[in-house]
Amino acid sequence: MSDAQGVIRHTVSVCPVCLRRIPAVQRRHDGAVWLEKQCPQHGFFSTPIWRDKLDLELWRAGVKPLMEGENPHCPHGCGICPDHKQGTCCALLEVTPRCNLACQFCFADDEMPEPDLGQLRAAIDHIASAGRPTLQLSGGEPSLRDDLPELVAYAKQQGCSYVQLNSNGLRLAEDEEYVAALAEAGLDFVFMQFDGTDDGVYQQLRGRPLLTEKLRAVEHCDAHHIGVTFVPTVVRGVNTAQLGDILRLAVSLSPAVRGVHFQPVSFLGRYPAAPAALDRYTLDELLTDLVAQSGGRIELANFRSSCCDHPLCGFHGGFIVLEDGSLLPLTQPQQTCCCGSDQPPQPEQSCCGGSERAPQSALQEGCCCGSGKTAWQSDNCCSGQLEATQQQSCCAGGEVQVLPCACDEISRTTAAQNREYIGRRWQRNLQAEQESNGQDISSLSGFLTRARSHAFTISAMAFQDAWNLDIERLRQCSLHVYADGMLKPFCSHYLTAAEAAHD
Amino acid sequence: MIEASELQCERCGVALELKKTYFSYLGHAFHTDLPRCPVCGQVYIDEELVKGRMSRVERELEDK
Ligand code: SF4
Ligand code: SF4
Ligand SMILES: [Zn+2]
Ligand SMILES: [Zn+2]
Ligand SMILES: [Zn+2]
Repeated sequence: MSDAQGVIRHTVSVCPVCLRRIPAVQRRHDGAVWLEKQCPQHGFFSTPIWRDKLDLELWRAGVKPLMEGENPHCPHGCGICPDHKQGTCCALLEVTPRCNLACQFCFADDEMPEPDLGQLRAAIDHIASAGRPTLQLSGGEPSLRDDLPELVAYAKQQGCSYVQLNSNGLRLAEDEEYVAALAEAGLDFVFMQFDGTDDGVYQQLRGRPLLTEKLRAVEHCDAHHIGVTFVPTVVRGVNTAQLGDILRLAVSLSPAVRGVHFQPVSFLGRYPAAPAALDRYTLDELLTDLVAQSGGRIELANFRSSCCDHPLCGFHGGFIVLEDGSLLPLTQPQQTCCCGSDQPPQPEQSCCGGSERAPQSALQEGCCCGSGKTAWQSDNCCSGQLEATQQQSCCAGGEVQVLPCACDEISRTTAAQNREYIGRRWQRNLQAEQESNGQDISSLSGFLTRARSHAFTISAMAFQDAWNLDIERLRQCSLHVYADGMLKPFCSHYLTAAEAAHD
Repeated sequence: MIEASELQCERCGVALELKKTYFSYLGHAFHTDLPRCPVCGQVYIDEELVKGRMSRVERELEDK
């Protein structure tokens, strides 16, 4: 649906220069969808948000547009205001402004003072009280703090579900004792900058060759059972041809490496120049290029747009790395309902809402498969559909069909559930690793063991900046930064005005 | 877990036997041993399977 001008959606954004809240539209022209807006003082701005490599409406999965009068104070009302639509899944804490690299792109604030241990403990107390989120220790380069293991231990003790370290990996490569201390303290996983498989990429983006150090950091984390996820910052023309290589390398390092989390570059904090249209590498480009470069290992159908955060914020696909190095996809295709029925999701929700669910108190006779055989004991029956509730059994001619509807689960999808699912996959599971050797993946127990030991997650997040900020996305953000005594959505906290930004 | 031989088929009156049984679940095929009636072929699915392992499979596949 679009009007004569090609407008397909209305939303609210900010002026990239003065950051005032202004109306914006998504408009389709010249082979892309653009976010367009006019500041009464600073003029017209247009930036590509989608290049129509994938169907944008399917990707949105029925998420509703921002309506007139909704979130009237966004983005200037953060702390988490009462209008915010998502809980805190991950809380990011900057533990130092210092860094041992000087990257071309960096969102971090290098002007804040170094916080002391007491201040950081107080911050962790506050974060832990916000419903046991995953704590991301960030910076600057957090591993420049010698007392980081103390902070990790404190966060675990205060009840953070998982503790994650965001790091460039340099200290992890050169100081194995430090890695051991972090592991001892309970660090669950590292998100390690990993931009490419040759040093040319590091030279360009980070100012020097780094590949050897990155791989040594993986070895050290492996030795101390800390899961590593690679985090490439994706910049067109720099590493967009290496997506497949990064994926192959990461998979070859499973189970030490747990996945790849791609971040198309955004223009926050420090960056070389204001973005031109071509600098935008959109999510649909990223996913289609990744699949094309994967040599047939992955398919588009193995991925879904974010559903904890807004669909235009990212995507994810869950896999298991099999013994021959191939990837077994776990994530169900986008087009079907989350409950596993092949009903398409209703426009206003991403789930069929239970219309395909088996009746609760069905009869005792007549098996669910419609064969006329008697169902067992206290079982429910799905009235001839191959879909069942709990405790239902079916003879189905010798092959058992069990398709519990997950509608209830999905509608209760909260930040907490998302975090548990994701966190478990990013963690090492040594017991499962020991058990998984030589197990038959097609057996129920073999599958469950390998799903724990060799889980592999491919995900992406396209951070927003002053040019492409969309309040419809921001109001659903579950990644929150702790600063000045409060939690704020990441893309609101790091929002920087155009002129002040790159001097 | 209940022993297969403790269960009887309601209709045939014979003891169930553990048999390798194939599942198809959200597009994935698995097998596991389940108590089955040797005469009519019906399968008994106990609560441990549904609430335990199958719901773990569900969580892995459903990805939320
Ligand atoms: S981003 Fe969320 S917390 Fe911030 S103003 Fe908007 S709705 Fe409120
Ligand atoms: S951090 Fe930014 S890109 Fe990520 S979910 Fe939040 S608003 Fe979306
Ligand atoms: Zn302005
Ligand atoms: Zn459903
Ligand atoms: Zn029988």
